Amino acid sequence: MRIPAVLVAVITTILFAGCEHREGGHTTNPVVAVIPKGTSHEFWKTVHAGANEAGSKNDLEIIWKGPAREDDRDEQIKVVETFVARGVDAIVIAPLDDTALVPSLKEASGRGIPVIVFDSDIKWDGKTTFVATDNTRGGELAAREVGRLLDGKGRILVMRYVEGSASTMKREKGFLDTIASEYPGIEVVSSNQHGGATVEGCYKTAENLLAKYPDVDAVFGPCEPATFGLMKAIDDIDKEGTILLVGFDASDKLVEGLRDGKIAALVVQNPFAMGDLAVTAARSTIDGDDVPEFMDTGCTLITLENMDEPGNKELLNPPLDKWLNTK
Amino acid sequence: MIESNGRRVRLVPDLRQMLGPVLGLVLVIVIFGIIAPQSFLSVYNFKVVAAQSVIVGLGAIGMTFVITSGGIDLSVGSVIALASVLTALMMQQFDSPVVAIALGVGIGAVCGAVNGLVITGLRIVPFIATLGMFGIARGIAKYLAGEQKIDAPAGWIPELMAKEPSASWILVAPGVWITIVLGILMAILLNRTTFGTNTFAIGSNESTARLCGIQVRRTKILIYMLCGIFAGLAGVMQFGRLTVGDPTTALGKELDIIAAVVIGGASLAGGEGRISGALVGAVLMAFLANGCTHAGVPNYVQEIIIGIIIIAAVALDSYRHSGSR
Repeated sequence: MRIPAVLVAVITTILFAGCEHREGGHTTNPVVAVIPKGTSHEFWKTVHAGANEAGSKNDLEIIWKGPAREDDRDEQIKVVETFVARGVDAIVIAPLDDTALVPSLKEASGRGIPVIVFDSDIKWDGKTTFVATDNTRGGELAAREVGRLLDGKGRILVMRYVEGSASTMKREKGFLDTIASEYPGIEVVSSNQHGGATVEGCYKTAENLLAKYPDVDAVFGPCEPATFGLMKAIDDIDKEGTILLVGFDASDKLVEGLRDGKIAALVVQNPFAMGDLAVTAARSTIDGDDVPEFMDTGCTLITLENMDEPGNKELLNPPLDKWLNTK
Repeated sequence: MIESNGRRVRLVPDLRQMLGPVLGLVLVIVIFGIIAPQSFLSVYNFKVVAAQSVIVGLGAIGMTFVITSGGIDLSVGSVIALASVLTALMMQQFDSPVVAIALGVGIGAVCGAVNGLVITGLRIVPFIATLGMFGIARGIAKYLAGEQKIDAPAGWIPELMAKEPSASWILVAPGVWITIVLGILMAILLNRTTFGTNTFAIGSNESTARLCGIQVRRTKILIYMLCGIFAGLAGVMQFGRLTVGDPTTALGKELDIIAAVVIGGASLAGGEGRISGALVGAVLMAFLANGCTHAGVPNYVQEIIIGIIIIAAVALDSYRHSGSR
């Protein structure tokens, strides 16, 4: 009596599975599972494109799978477990959590699967390598640009992002340390305010900061929402171009702001290179070659003058179509 | 139990009724065995799926009582998160797994009891009452955790969910055995005791049950409390899996749990429910997810398939009912 129900389910399963181009087909190339923190953000799409490029360069089969939400630890663990059971040749992962993912990755490595960590670090030294942006260097880069723009003199402020976010804290530290050591003429009037994890929170904090210090010469935002909040707040008091804004990361809105002169410079990460380097490291590991413990994927300072140069244009608009439309 | 086909009270599940979910499970395994790489059929992968079924399975045991009584509990996912956070906090405080587990399960019981009291005392339909708890428990979990995950010493709790347990002769994670043993005990409770009979009776026809002298109020409070206890235990297992207390975990898990119970042959109209079927439903969904990852099929396909299976199972169930009358 229930058999028809089952039949319906079976037929649909076959239909779906059959129509779908399966990335994990039957080839002899080694299989590398690439597991992002989430699948919807632009950043991860760019990583995916880079991973696919490295896969085709290095004769690897890339399987891309991650949780839909960037806080779904359980789902990411499930993905890792299943790839371990499947027996892939390497796992490349951006862990959602520096602790929760450790047991399942340990198990992977215990079963002979090398683990390459990218983007965010993990509290475990069994990983083969860690591929990420050197965030401290990114902060230094921003600080030198501020120093150059202000000729080493002036008053600035930093609006921090979230308490406990490792990557942005490194950027803030790199920025502040460089200002303190290299630009004694620059005074930091405020560096203890956090914008919070939402765009709304960053905007509000930026408004409050600028209401208190309307005469600063430059501001630094350590990530996309902080930069966006600062840009809007400066725009509101008609000080665009007077208060110089140096930000971090790119989005369509920020690139537009750069073009309109609302932003003086952006420090941009390279997620394409992140996917590329991490997968290439997987190939080296599979081949038994040594890889360094840490690989910096680099940061680039983008200004109005250099934003249309070929390399930088690709950073702001990565070649997603070329590598993601392989189906 | 008031239907003409006689006693619904039995320990050995009716084979004919179990056929649907079990056959579905076997077919899922066979199909993925064909289209997925060989590793899908490995012993290790079966251990992985078994461990992955535990949280939904435990939740489904409790939910079977609620659905059989004609109710619904939407707060289970939030209660799992709250229990995992409390377990982590207690491990931080006392570093004693026994205390932490007791309190994790205990908070589940409290949430369930509150659900039952609100439903019976304020005369609010279960859907709304537990929707309230859905927000309340999630909010308290976030408050207790300071809106962050909690790093705590995990003691031996992760061992409960270890896919390869250190005592290798038990084959699968201890959590799997706990689920099976509790499943059998609860099947006895549901099918062989007055409490279980009353649960069926309330689900079949609440006013008749009341006329027959069943203490509907008390039974309902106990049913929701039982569901909360199992959600609390699932939360402890979630902590064991994550090794951190995560207030955002298990979002939407109650829907997976309800799906498992329904695939297993329960009727949302009440008066019908099988714990064995619900557990098979939980395993079936875990296998589907696992098989899709093995075969490299994207997540959305798996979501569509599960959706279709739920509708098909229920549609055929109601077809069968209309045919028997």
